[in-house]
Amino acid sequence: MSEIAIESAAARRESAGHRRRLSRETRLGWATILAFLVLWKLVHASGIFPPWAFPSPEQVLMAFVKTLRSGELLKNTWASVARQLVGVALAALVGIPLGIALGASRNARAALLPLCRLMYPIPGIAWIPLAILWFGIGFKSTVFVIFFSGIWPILFNTMTGVATLDGQYTDVARVYLAPRLFYVRRILIPGSLPYIITGIRLTYGVGWRVIVGAEMISSITGLGFMIDDARWQLRPDIMVAGMITIALIGWVMENWAFDWLERVTLERWGMKSIA
Amino acid sequence: MLEIRALSKRYAVDDGEILALADIDVEIDEGEFVCLLGPSGCGKSTLLKIVAGLIPPSDGVIRIARREVTAPGPDRAVVFQDYALFPWMTVADNVEFGLAARGVPSERRRAVSGELLRAVGLAEFAGKYPHHLSGGMKQRVSIARALAVDPVLLLMDEPFGALDAQTRFVMQRELLRVWRTYRKTVLFVTHSIEEALYLGDRVLVMTARPGRIKAAIAVPQERPRDIASLEFTRLRAHTLDLLSDEIAKSMAQEATAELTS
Repeated sequence: MSEIAIESAAARRESAGHRRRLSRETRLGWATILAFLVLWKLVHASGIFPPWAFPSPEQVLMAFVKTLRSGELLKNTWASVARQLVGVALAALVGIPLGIALGASRNARAALLPLCRLMYPIPGIAWIPLAILWFGIGFKSTVFVIFFSGIWPILFNTMTGVATLDGQYTDVARVYLAPRLFYVRRILIPGSLPYIITGIRLTYGVGWRVIVGAEMISSITGLGFMIDDARWQLRPDIMVAGMITIALIGWVMENWAFDWLERVTLERWGMKSIA
Repeated sequence: MLEIRALSKRYAVDDGEILALADIDVEIDEGEFVCLLGPSGCGKSTLLKIVAGLIPPSDGVIRIARREVTAPGPDRAVVFQDYALFPWMTVADNVEFGLAARGVPSERRRAVSGELLRAVGLAEFAGKYPHHLSGGMKQRVSIARALAVDPVLLLMDEPFGALDAQTRFVMQRELLRVWRTYRKTVLFVTHSIEEALYLGDRVLVMTARPGRIKAAIAVPQERPRDIASLEFTRLRAHTLDLLSDEIAKSMAQEATAELTS
Protein backbone atom coordinates (compact mmCIF):
# COMPACT_ATOMS: atom_id res chain seq x y z
CA MET A 1 0.00 0.00 0.00
CA SER A 2 2.68 2.47 1.03
CA GLU A 3 4.70 1.46 -1.99
CA ILE A 4 1.86 2.41 -4.28
CA ALA A 5 1.46 5.72 -2.50
CA ILE A 6 5.15 6.52 -2.88
CA GLU A 7 5.11 5.56 -6.52
CA SER A 8 2.12 7.73 -7.37
CA ALA A 9 3.62 10.64 -5.46
CA ALA A 10 6.80 10.23 -7.51
CA ALA A 11 4.72 10.11 -10.67
CA ARG A 12 2.96 13.30 -9.62
CA ARG A 13 6.27 15.01 -8.94
CA GLU A 14 7.60 13.99 -12.31
CA SER A 15 4.53 15.18 -14.18
CA ALA A 16 4.70 18.49 -12.28
CA GLY A 17 8.34 18.80 -13.35
CA HIS A 18 7.26 18.00 -16.87
CA ARG A 19 4.72 20.84 -16.79
CA ARG A 20 7.35 23.26 -15.53
CA ARG A 21 9.75 22.31 -18.29
CA LEU A 22 7.04 22.72 -20.89
CA SER A 23 6.12 26.17 -19.69
CA ARG A 24 9.79 27.16 -19.72
CA GLU A 25 9.94 26.02 -23.35
CA THR A 26 6.78 27.95 -24.14
CA ARG A 27 8.29 31.05 -22.55
CA LEU A 28 11.42 30.64 -24.68
CA GLY A 29 9.31 30.42 -27.81
CA TRP A 30 7.37 33.56 -26.96
CA ALA A 31 10.60 35.39 -26.11
CA THR A 32 11.94 34.70 -29.59
CA ILE A 33 8.74 35.97 -31.20
CA LEU A 34 8.96 39.10 -29.08
CA ALA A 35 12.63 39.59 -30.06
CA PHE A 36 11.59 39.26 -33.69
CA LEU A 37 8.97 42.00 -33.25
CA VAL A 38 11.56 44.26 -31.60
CA LEU A 39 14.01 43.64 -34.44
CA TRP A 40 11.27 44.40 -36.96
CA LYS A 41 10.52 47.66 -35.19
CA LEU A 42 14.23 48.57 -35.10
CA VAL A 43 14.66 47.89 -38.82
CA HIS A 44 11.62 50.03 -39.53
CA ALA A 45 12.93 52.85 -37.33
CA SER A 46 16.40 52.73 -38.93
CA GLY A 47 14.93 53.85 -42.26
CA ILE A 48 16.86 51.31 -44.36
CA PHE A 49 13.62 50.62 -46.27
CA PRO A 50 11.33 53.36 -47.53
CA PRO A 51 8.20 53.64 -45.34
CA TRP A 52 5.81 52.95 -48.25
CA ALA A 53 7.40 49.51 -48.69
CA PHE A 54 8.05 48.50 -45.07
CA PRO A 55 5.29 48.78 -42.46
CA SER A 56 5.91 48.99 -38.73
CA PRO A 57 4.32 46.45 -36.35
CA GLU A 58 1.85 49.10 -35.15
CA GLN A 59 0.80 49.92 -38.70
CA VAL A 60 0.11 46.24 -39.30
CA LEU A 61 -1.91 46.07 -36.10
CA MET A 62 -3.90 49.10 -37.28
CA ALA A 63 -4.47 47.45 -40.65
CA PHE A 64 -5.82 44.43 -38.80
CA VAL A 65 -8.27 46.55 -36.86
CA LYS A 66 -9.34 48.47 -39.97
CA THR A 67 -9.86 45.43 -42.20
CA LEU A 68 -11.66 43.67 -39.36
CA ARG A 69 -14.00 46.65 -38.87
CA SER A 70 -14.73 46.97 -42.57
CA GLY A 71 -15.46 43.26 -42.79
CA GLU A 72 -12.86 42.87 -45.54
CA LEU A 73 -10.62 40.58 -43.50
CA LEU A 74 -13.38 38.21 -42.37
CA LYS A 75 -14.93 38.05 -45.84
CA ASN A 76 -11.61 37.15 -47.46
CA THR A 77 -10.60 34.77 -44.69
CA TRP A 78 -13.89 32.92 -44.99
CA ALA A 79 -13.51 32.73 -48.79
CA SER A 80 -10.05 31.16 -48.43
CA VAL A 81 -11.02 28.79 -45.63
CA ALA A 82 -14.12 27.58 -47.51
CA ARG A 83 -12.06 26.82 -50.64
CA GLN A 84 -9.42 25.15 -48.54
CA LEU A 85 -11.89 22.94 -46.67
CA VAL A 86 -13.70 21.91 -49.85
CA GLY A 87 -10.41 21.26 -51.67
CA VAL A 88 -8.96 19.18 -48.84
CA ALA A 89 -12.24 17.29 -48.38
CA LEU A 90 -12.28 16.43 -52.09
CA ALA A 91 -8.64 15.37 -51.98
CA ALA A 92 -9.42 13.09 -49.02
CA LEU A 93 -12.60 11.76 -50.63
CA VAL A 94 -10.71 10.72 -53.75
CA GLY A 95 -7.27 10.13 -52.23
CA ILE A 96 -8.23 7.77 -49.39
CA PRO A 97 -10.23 5.22 -51.43
CA LEU A 98 -7.69 5.40 -54.24
CA GLY A 99 -4.86 4.99 -51.73
CA ILE A 100 -6.59 1.95 -50.23
CA ALA A 101 -6.97 0.42 -53.68
CA LEU A 102 -3.32 1.12 -54.50
CA GLY A 103 -2.13 -0.26 -51.17
CA ALA A 104 -4.26 -3.39 -51.33
CA SER A 105 -3.88 -4.39 -54.96
CA ARG A 106 -0.68 -5.04 -56.83
CA ASN A 107 -2.54 -4.66 -60.13
CA ALA A 108 -3.89 -1.26 -59.15
CA ARG A 109 -0.35 -0.19 -58.28
CA ALA A 110 1.02 -1.43 -61.57
CA ALA A 111 -1.73 0.31 -63.51
CA LEU A 112 -1.92 3.64 -61.74
CA LEU A 113 1.37 4.39 -60.03
CA PRO A 114 3.31 5.42 -63.15
CA LEU A 115 0.70 8.05 -64.02
CA CYS A 116 0.55 9.25 -60.40
CA ARG A 117 4.33 9.53 -60.22
CA LEU A 118 4.34 11.57 -63.44
CA MET A 119 1.70 14.00 -62.26
CA TYR A 120 2.97 14.35 -58.71
CA PRO A 121 5.91 16.69 -59.52
CA ILE A 122 3.68 19.23 -61.27
CA PRO A 123 3.45 22.16 -58.83
CA GLY A 124 -0.08 23.13 -57.84
CA ILE A 125 0.22 26.62 -59.28
CA ALA A 126 1.09 25.24 -62.71
CA TRP A 127 -2.55 24.11 -62.89
CA ILE A 128 -3.85 27.64 -62.40
CA PRO A 129 -4.00 28.84 -66.06
CA LEU A 130 -5.74 25.64 -67.12
CA ALA A 131 -8.08 25.88 -64.14
CA ILE A 132 -9.06 29.40 -65.18
CA LEU A 133 -9.76 28.24 -68.72
CA TRP A 134 -11.95 25.42 -67.44
CA PHE A 135 -13.70 26.96 -64.44
CA GLY A 136 -13.25 30.70 -64.80
CA ILE A 137 -12.08 32.89 -61.98
CA GLY A 138 -13.15 32.17 -58.38
CA PHE A 139 -14.22 29.32 -56.15
CA LYS A 140 -14.09 26.36 -58.52
CA SER A 141 -10.71 27.02 -60.07
CA THR A 142 -9.09 27.57 -56.65
CA VAL A 143 -10.62 24.38 -55.26
CA PHE A 144 -9.36 22.54 -58.32
CA VAL A 145 -5.83 23.76 -57.74
CA ILE A 146 -5.92 22.83 -54.04
CA PHE A 147 -7.28 19.42 -54.95
CA PHE A 148 -4.56 18.68 -57.47
CA SER A 149 -1.70 19.86 -55.31
CA GLY A 150 -3.10 18.27 -52.16
CA ILE A 151 -4.20 14.85 -53.30
CA TRP A 152 -0.71 13.34 -53.49
CA PRO A 153 0.27 13.24 -49.81
CA ILE A 154 -3.05 11.73 -48.73
CA LEU A 155 -2.96 9.27 -51.61
CA PHE A 156 0.61 8.07 -51.11
CA ASN A 157 0.32 7.98 -47.31
CA THR A 158 -2.86 5.92 -47.38
CA MET A 159 -1.22 3.58 -49.85
CA THR A 160 1.81 3.11 -47.60
CA GLY A 161 -0.41 2.63 -44.54
CA VAL A 162 -2.43 -0.10 -46.21
CA ALA A 163 0.59 -1.78 -47.80
CA THR A 164 2.52 -1.93 -44.52
CA LEU A 165 -0.39 -3.03 -42.33
CA ASP A 166 0.59 -5.91 -40.04
CA GLY A 167 -0.07 -9.14 -41.96
CA GLN A 168 -1.35 -10.77 -38.80
CA TYR A 169 -4.41 -8.50 -38.84
CA THR A 170 -5.21 -9.92 -42.26
CA ASP A 171 -4.73 -13.45 -40.93
CA VAL A 172 -7.19 -12.74 -38.11
CA ALA A 173 -9.67 -11.33 -40.61
CA ARG A 174 -9.38 -14.46 -42.75
CA VAL A 175 -9.64 -16.86 -39.81
CA TYR A 176 -12.84 -15.16 -38.66
CA LEU A 177 -14.22 -15.01 -42.21
CA ALA A 178 -14.50 -11.22 -42.46
CA PRO A 179 -16.21 -10.16 -45.71
CA ARG A 180 -14.26 -7.77 -47.94
CA LEU A 181 -16.07 -4.54 -47.13
CA PHE A 182 -16.14 -5.36 -43.42
CA TYR A 183 -12.38 -5.92 -43.61
CA VAL A 184 -11.81 -2.56 -45.30
CA ARG A 185 -14.03 -0.68 -42.86
CA ARG A 186 -13.03 -2.34 -39.60
CA ILE A 187 -9.37 -3.20 -40.24
CA LEU A 188 -7.74 -1.57 -43.26
CA ILE A 189 -8.92 1.97 -42.56
CA PRO A 190 -8.42 2.13 -38.77
CA GLY A 191 -5.17 0.17 -39.10
CA SER A 192 -3.83 2.67 -41.63
CA LEU A 193 -5.11 5.68 -39.70
CA PRO A 194 -1.67 6.81 -38.48
CA TYR A 195 -0.70 7.23 -42.14
CA ILE A 196 -4.04 8.61 -43.23
CA ILE A 197 -4.02 11.33 -40.57
CA THR A 198 -0.46 12.30 -41.43
CA GLY A 199 -1.51 12.35 -45.09
CA ILE A 200 -4.42 14.72 -44.44
CA ARG A 201 -2.14 16.88 -42.31
CA LEU A 202 0.31 17.19 -45.21
CA THR A 203 -2.51 17.70 -47.72
CA TYR A 204 -3.87 20.48 -45.55
CA GLY A 205 -0.45 22.12 -45.34
CA VAL A 206 0.16 21.91 -49.09
CA GLY A 207 -3.32 23.27 -49.85
CA TRP A 208 -2.99 26.20 -47.51
CA ARG A 209 0.37 27.11 -49.01
CA VAL A 210 -0.96 26.90 -52.56
CA ILE A 211 -4.23 28.73 -52.02
CA VAL A 212 -2.60 32.15 -51.72
CA GLY A 213 -0.81 31.84 -55.02
CA ALA A 214 -3.97 30.58 -56.67
CA GLU A 215 -6.05 33.43 -55.30
CA MET A 216 -3.53 36.02 -56.44
CA ILE A 217 -4.07 34.93 -60.01
CA SER A 218 -7.51 33.41 -60.29
CA SER A 219 -9.71 35.11 -57.77
CA ILE A 220 -11.22 38.40 -56.64
CA THR A 221 -11.74 37.28 -53.05
CA GLY A 222 -9.67 35.44 -50.45
CA LEU A 223 -6.58 36.23 -48.45
CA GLY A 224 -4.32 35.77 -51.46
CA PHE A 225 -6.37 38.28 -53.40
CA MET A 226 -6.34 40.68 -50.44
CA ILE A 227 -2.55 40.54 -50.24
CA ASP A 228 -2.09 40.98 -53.97
CA ASP A 229 -4.69 43.74 -54.16
CA ALA A 230 -2.84 45.67 -51.44
CA ARG A 231 0.08 45.94 -53.85
CA TRP A 232 -1.94 48.21 -56.13
CA GLN A 233 -2.91 50.36 -53.19
CA LEU A 234 0.69 50.47 -51.97
CA ARG A 235 -0.44 49.12 -48.61
CA PRO A 236 2.29 46.79 -47.25
CA ASP A 237 0.58 46.89 -43.83
CA ILE A 238 -2.46 45.11 -45.28
CA MET A 239 -0.18 42.61 -47.03
CA VAL A 240 1.50 41.70 -43.76
CA ALA A 241 -1.84 41.60 -41.91
CA GLY A 242 -3.03 39.08 -44.53
CA MET A 243 0.15 37.04 -44.19
CA ILE A 244 -0.18 36.89 -40.41
CA THR A 245 -3.81 35.78 -40.75
CA ILE A 246 -2.67 32.97 -43.02
CA ALA A 247 -0.02 31.99 -40.49
CA LEU A 248 -2.47 32.00 -37.56
CA ILE A 249 -5.10 29.90 -39.31
CA GLY A 250 -2.50 27.44 -40.52
CA TRP A 251 -1.05 27.21 -37.04
CA VAL A 252 -4.39 26.61 -35.35
CA MET A 253 -5.38 23.88 -37.82
CA GLU A 254 -2.06 22.13 -37.99
CA ASN A 255 -1.35 22.23 -34.27
CA TRP A 256 -4.79 21.97 -32.73
CA ALA A 257 -7.28 20.39 -35.09
CA PHE A 258 -5.03 17.54 -36.20
CA ASP A 259 -3.53 17.02 -32.75
CA TRP A 260 -7.06 16.74 -31.44
CA LEU A 261 -7.91 14.20 -34.15
CA GLU A 262 -4.88 12.13 -33.13
CA ARG A 263 -5.78 12.38 -29.45
CA VAL A 264 -9.28 11.00 -29.91
CA THR A 265 -8.15 8.18 -32.18
CA LEU A 266 -4.53 7.03 -32.18
CA GLU A 267 -3.64 8.09 -28.64
CA ARG A 268 -6.77 6.53 -27.24
CA TRP A 269 -5.89 3.29 -28.97
CA GLY A 270 -2.26 3.34 -27.91
CA MET A 271 -1.09 3.55 -31.53
CA LYS A 272 1.80 5.68 -32.65
CA SER A 273 1.36 8.56 -35.07
CA ILE A 274 3.97 8.79 -37.80
CA ALA A 275 5.97 11.97 -38.22
CA MET B 1 -12.30 -35.18 -35.69
CA LEU B 2 -9.21 -33.72 -37.31
CA GLU B 3 -7.41 -35.83 -39.84
CA ILE B 4 -4.20 -34.83 -41.60
CA ARG B 5 -3.12 -37.21 -44.37
CA ALA B 6 0.23 -37.39 -46.21
CA LEU B 7 0.70 -33.67 -45.88
CA SER B 8 3.83 -31.87 -47.04
CA LYS B 9 4.84 -28.28 -47.64
CA ARG B 10 7.53 -26.98 -49.97
CA TYR B 11 8.64 -23.40 -50.29
CA ALA B 12 10.21 -21.94 -53.40
CA VAL B 13 13.44 -20.08 -52.63
CA ASP B 14 16.00 -18.37 -54.90
CA ASP B 15 17.99 -21.53 -55.64
CA GLY B 16 15.31 -24.19 -55.67
CA GLU B 17 12.98 -25.45 -52.98
CA ILE B 18 12.87 -25.97 -49.25
CA LEU B 19 10.96 -28.91 -47.88
CA ALA B 20 9.38 -27.54 -44.72
CA LEU B 21 7.02 -30.36 -43.78
CA ALA B 22 6.99 -33.98 -44.92
CA ASP B 23 4.82 -37.07 -44.42
CA ILE B 24 2.57 -35.56 -41.82
CA ASP B 25 -0.15 -37.93 -40.70
CA VAL B 26 -2.11 -36.92 -37.65
CA GLU B 27 -5.44 -37.87 -36.18
CA ILE B 28 -7.04 -36.00 -33.32
CA ASP B 29 -10.17 -37.10 -31.49
CA GLU B 30 -13.08 -34.94 -30.51
CA GLY B 31 -12.30 -33.07 -27.29
CA GLU B 32 -8.65 -34.07 -27.28
CA PHE B 33 -5.90 -31.64 -26.29
CA VAL B 34 -2.88 -32.26 -28.52
CA CYS B 35 0.41 -30.42 -28.31
CA LEU B 36 2.75 -30.01 -31.24
CA LEU B 37 6.27 -29.85 -29.85
CA GLY B 38 9.38 -29.15 -31.89
CA PRO B 39 12.59 -27.16 -32.25
CA SER B 40 12.44 -23.69 -33.77
CA GLY B 41 12.12 -23.71 -37.55
CA CYS B 42 10.66 -27.23 -37.67
CA GLY B 43 7.47 -26.02 -39.31
CA LYS B 44 5.08 -26.57 -36.40
CA SER B 45 3.56 -23.10 -36.78
CA THR B 46 3.35 -23.63 -40.54
CA LEU B 47 1.45 -26.85 -39.94
CA LEU B 48 -0.95 -25.01 -37.65
CA LYS B 49 -1.50 -22.31 -40.27
CA ILE B 50 -2.16 -24.95 -42.91
CA VAL B 51 -4.79 -26.53 -40.67
CA ALA B 52 -6.25 -23.06 -40.12
CA GLY B 53 -6.54 -22.68 -43.89
CA LEU B 54 -4.25 -19.65 -44.00
CA ILE B 55 -1.56 -21.40 -46.09
CA PRO B 56 -2.23 -24.10 -48.68
CA PRO B 57 -0.34 -27.40 -48.31
CA SER B 58 1.78 -28.63 -51.23
CA ASP B 59 0.43 -32.16 -50.91
CA GLY B 60 -1.98 -34.01 -48.72
CA VAL B 61 -5.40 -33.38 -47.29
CA ILE B 62 -6.95 -32.10 -44.09
CA ARG B 63 -10.36 -33.28 -43.01
CA ILE B 64 -12.47 -32.03 -40.18
CA ALA B 65 -15.41 -34.26 -39.28
CA ARG B 66 -14.63 -36.17 -42.48
CA ARG B 67 -15.01 -33.10 -44.70
CA GLU B 68 -11.98 -31.83 -46.55
CA VAL B 69 -11.04 -28.24 -45.73
CA THR B 70 -8.85 -25.95 -47.85
CA ALA B 71 -9.72 -22.50 -46.49
CA PRO B 72 -10.57 -20.92 -43.14
CA GLY B 73 -13.97 -21.94 -41.87
CA PRO B 74 -16.41 -21.47 -38.99
CA ASP B 75 -15.26 -24.77 -37.47
CA ARG B 76 -11.80 -23.40 -36.57
CA ALA B 77 -10.45 -20.45 -34.60
CA VAL B 78 -6.83 -19.41 -34.04
CA VAL B 79 -5.07 -17.88 -31.03
CA PHE B 80 -1.90 -16.17 -32.22
CA GLN B 81 1.35 -15.83 -30.33
CA ASP B 82 1.38 -12.04 -30.15
CA TYR B 83 -2.36 -11.83 -29.49
CA ALA B 84 -3.14 -9.98 -32.76
CA LEU B 85 -5.81 -7.90 -31.05
CA PHE B 86 -7.00 -4.80 -32.90
CA PRO B 87 -5.80 -1.77 -30.92
CA TRP B 88 -8.62 0.41 -32.29
CA MET B 89 -11.36 -1.85 -30.93
CA THR B 90 -12.40 -2.15 -27.30
CA VAL B 91 -11.87 -5.46 -25.54
CA ALA B 92 -15.54 -6.35 -26.08
CA ASP B 93 -15.39 -5.43 -29.79
CA ASN B 94 -12.28 -7.56 -30.19
CA VAL B 95 -14.02 -10.55 -28.60
CA GLU B 96 -17.04 -9.98 -30.84
CA PHE B 97 -14.99 -9.58 -34.01
CA GLY B 98 -15.75 -13.01 -35.47
CA LEU B 99 -19.44 -12.67 -34.68
CA ALA B 100 -19.61 -9.17 -36.18
CA ALA B 101 -17.89 -10.46 -39.32
CA ARG B 102 -20.64 -13.06 -39.59
CA GLY B 103 -23.35 -10.44 -39.18
CA VAL B 104 -24.58 -11.55 -35.74
CA PRO B 105 -26.80 -8.78 -34.29
CA SER B 106 -25.27 -6.65 -31.58
CA GLU B 107 -27.37 -7.71 -28.54
CA ARG B 108 -26.50 -11.33 -29.23
CA ARG B 109 -22.82 -10.36 -29.62
CA ARG B 110 -22.81 -8.42 -26.34
CA ALA B 111 -24.31 -11.40 -24.55
CA VAL B 112 -21.61 -13.73 -25.87
CA SER B 113 -18.71 -11.37 -25.18
CA GLY B 114 -20.10 -10.60 -21.73
CA GLU B 115 -20.23 -14.26 -20.83
CA LEU B 116 -16.78 -15.04 -22.22
CA LEU B 117 -15.13 -12.03 -20.61
CA ARG B 118 -16.58 -13.16 -17.29
CA ALA B 119 -15.24 -16.66 -17.97
CA VAL B 120 -11.70 -15.33 -18.49
CA GLY B 121 -12.00 -12.87 -15.58
CA LEU B 122 -11.99 -9.67 -17.61
CA ALA B 123 -15.62 -8.56 -17.31
CA GLU B 124 -14.74 -5.11 -16.03
CA PHE B 125 -12.33 -4.48 -18.93
CA ALA B 126 -14.96 -4.78 -21.68
CA GLY B 127 -14.82 -1.08 -22.56
CA LYS B 128 -11.04 -0.70 -22.33
CA TYR B 129 -8.64 -0.70 -25.26
CA PRO B 130 -6.04 -3.51 -25.55
CA HIS B 131 -3.05 -1.28 -24.84
CA HIS B 132 -4.32 -0.90 -21.26
CA LEU B 133 -3.95 -4.65 -20.72
CA SER B 134 -0.96 -6.78 -19.72
CA GLY B 135 0.28 -9.55 -22.00
CA GLY B 136 -1.58 -12.24 -20.06
CA MET B 137 -4.81 -10.27 -20.17
CA LYS B 138 -4.43 -9.67 -23.91
CA GLN B 139 -4.04 -13.39 -24.50
CA ARG B 140 -7.20 -14.05 -22.45
CA VAL B 141 -9.05 -11.65 -24.75
CA SER B 142 -7.62 -13.46 -27.76
CA ILE B 143 -8.81 -16.79 -26.34
CA ALA B 144 -12.26 -15.31 -25.67
CA ARG B 145 -12.34 -14.03 -29.27
CA ALA B 146 -11.61 -17.54 -30.50
CA LEU B 147 -14.26 -19.13 -28.25
CA ALA B 148 -16.85 -16.53 -29.26
CA VAL B 149 -17.34 -18.08 -32.69
CA ASP B 150 -17.87 -21.48 -31.03
CA PRO B 151 -15.38 -23.45 -33.15
CA VAL B 152 -14.99 -27.21 -32.85
CA LEU B 153 -11.22 -26.93 -33.22
CA LEU B 154 -9.12 -24.40 -31.36
CA LEU B 155 -5.71 -23.78 -32.92
CA MET B 156 -3.14 -22.16 -30.64
CA ASP B 157 0.19 -20.94 -32.00
CA GLU B 158 2.62 -20.64 -29.08
CA PRO B 159 0.05 -18.50 -27.30
CA PHE B 160 2.06 -18.10 -24.10
CA GLY B 161 5.50 -17.77 -25.71
CA ALA B 162 5.75 -14.05 -25.08
CA LEU B 163 4.70 -14.21 -21.42
CA ASP B 164 6.91 -14.32 -18.34
CA ALA B 165 7.18 -17.62 -16.46
CA GLN B 166 4.66 -16.87 -13.69
CA THR B 167 2.01 -15.45 -16.00
CA ARG B 168 2.57 -18.36 -18.30
CA PHE B 169 1.86 -20.88 -15.55
CA VAL B 170 -1.32 -19.07 -14.52
CA MET B 171 -2.45 -18.93 -18.15
CA GLN B 172 -1.83 -22.65 -18.63
CA ARG B 173 -4.08 -23.47 -15.68
CA GLU B 174 -6.70 -21.01 -16.92
CA LEU B 175 -6.62 -22.53 -20.37
CA LEU B 176 -7.25 -26.00 -18.94
CA ARG B 177 -10.17 -24.63 -16.94
CA VAL B 178 -11.66 -22.97 -20.01
CA TRP B 179 -11.01 -26.08 -22.09
CA ARG B 180 -12.90 -28.21 -19.54
CA THR B 181 -15.79 -25.74 -19.52
CA TYR B 182 -16.17 -25.39 -23.29
CA ARG B 183 -14.95 -28.84 -24.34
CA LYS B 184 -13.07 -27.88 -27.48
CA THR B 185 -10.60 -29.94 -29.45
CA VAL B 186 -7.27 -28.17 -29.14
CA LEU B 187 -4.14 -28.23 -31.27
CA PHE B 188 -1.49 -26.34 -29.34
CA VAL B 189 1.93 -25.45 -30.77
CA THR B 190 4.80 -24.96 -28.33
CA HIS B 191 8.55 -25.35 -28.05
CA SER B 192 8.40 -25.93 -24.30
CA ILE B 193 8.54 -29.55 -23.16
CA GLU B 194 7.02 -28.72 -19.75
CA GLU B 195 4.17 -26.81 -21.33
CA ALA B 196 3.40 -29.62 -23.77
CA LEU B 197 3.45 -32.29 -21.06
CA TYR B 198 1.51 -30.16 -18.59
CA LEU B 199 -1.29 -29.41 -21.04
CA GLY B 200 -1.63 -32.17 -23.60
CA ASP B 201 -3.46 -35.47 -23.65
CA ARG B 202 -0.94 -36.28 -26.32
CA VAL B 203 2.30 -34.65 -27.37
CA LEU B 204 3.47 -34.93 -30.99
CA VAL B 205 7.23 -34.48 -31.14
CA MET B 206 8.48 -33.08 -34.45
CA THR B 207 11.86 -33.41 -36.13
CA ALA B 208 14.05 -30.55 -37.32
CA ARG B 209 13.34 -29.35 -40.87
CA PRO B 210 11.84 -30.99 -42.85
CA GLY B 211 9.33 -31.36 -40.04
CA ARG B 212 8.01 -34.86 -39.53
CA ILE B 213 6.14 -36.39 -36.62
CA LYS B 214 8.91 -38.22 -34.79
CA ALA B 215 6.86 -39.63 -31.94
CA ALA B 216 3.51 -39.37 -30.23
CA ILE B 217 3.68 -39.38 -26.46
CA ALA B 218 0.51 -40.10 -24.52
CA VAL B 219 0.32 -38.32 -21.19
CA PRO B 220 -1.86 -40.48 -18.96
CA GLN B 221 -1.57 -38.36 -15.79
CA GLU B 222 -4.71 -36.83 -14.33
CA ARG B 223 -4.99 -33.05 -14.35
CA PRO B 224 -3.93 -30.89 -12.61
CA ARG B 225 -0.56 -32.48 -13.17
CA ASP B 226 2.20 -32.32 -10.63
CA ILE B 227 5.25 -31.21 -12.55
CA ALA B 228 7.46 -32.26 -9.64
CA SER B 229 6.17 -35.84 -9.61
CA LEU B 230 8.43 -38.73 -10.55
CA GLU B 231 6.13 -39.73 -13.39
CA PHE B 232 6.21 -36.25 -14.90
CA THR B 233 10.01 -36.04 -14.51
CA ARG B 234 10.46 -39.36 -16.31
CA LEU B 235 8.22 -38.29 -19.13
CA ARG B 236 10.12 -35.04 -19.43
CA ALA B 237 13.46 -36.86 -19.60
CA HIS B 238 12.09 -39.18 -22.27
CA THR B 239 10.75 -36.26 -24.32
CA LEU B 240 13.98 -34.33 -23.97
CA ASP B 241 15.82 -37.40 -25.23
CA LEU B 242 13.66 -37.46 -28.33
CA LEU B 243 13.96 -33.74 -28.86
CA SER B 244 17.60 -32.99 -28.14
CA ASP B 245 18.91 -34.46 -31.42
CA GLU B 246 16.38 -32.38 -33.29
CA ILE B 247 17.31 -29.23 -31.42
CA ALA B 248 20.99 -29.83 -32.28
CA LYS B 249 20.07 -30.35 -35.95
CA SER B 250 17.90 -27.27 -36.03
CA MET B 251 20.69 -25.16 -34.51
CA ALA B 252 23.15 -26.51 -37.08
CA GLN B 253 20.69 -25.58 -39.86
CA GLU B 254 20.34 -22.09 -38.48
CA ALA B 255 24.12 -21.69 -38.25
CA THR B 256 24.55 -22.83 -41.85
CA ALA B 257 21.85 -20.46 -43.01
CA GLU B 258 23.57 -17.66 -41.13
CA LEU B 259 26.94 -18.43 -42.71
CA THR B 260 25.65 -18.73 -46.27
CA SER B 261 23.44 -15.62 -46.13
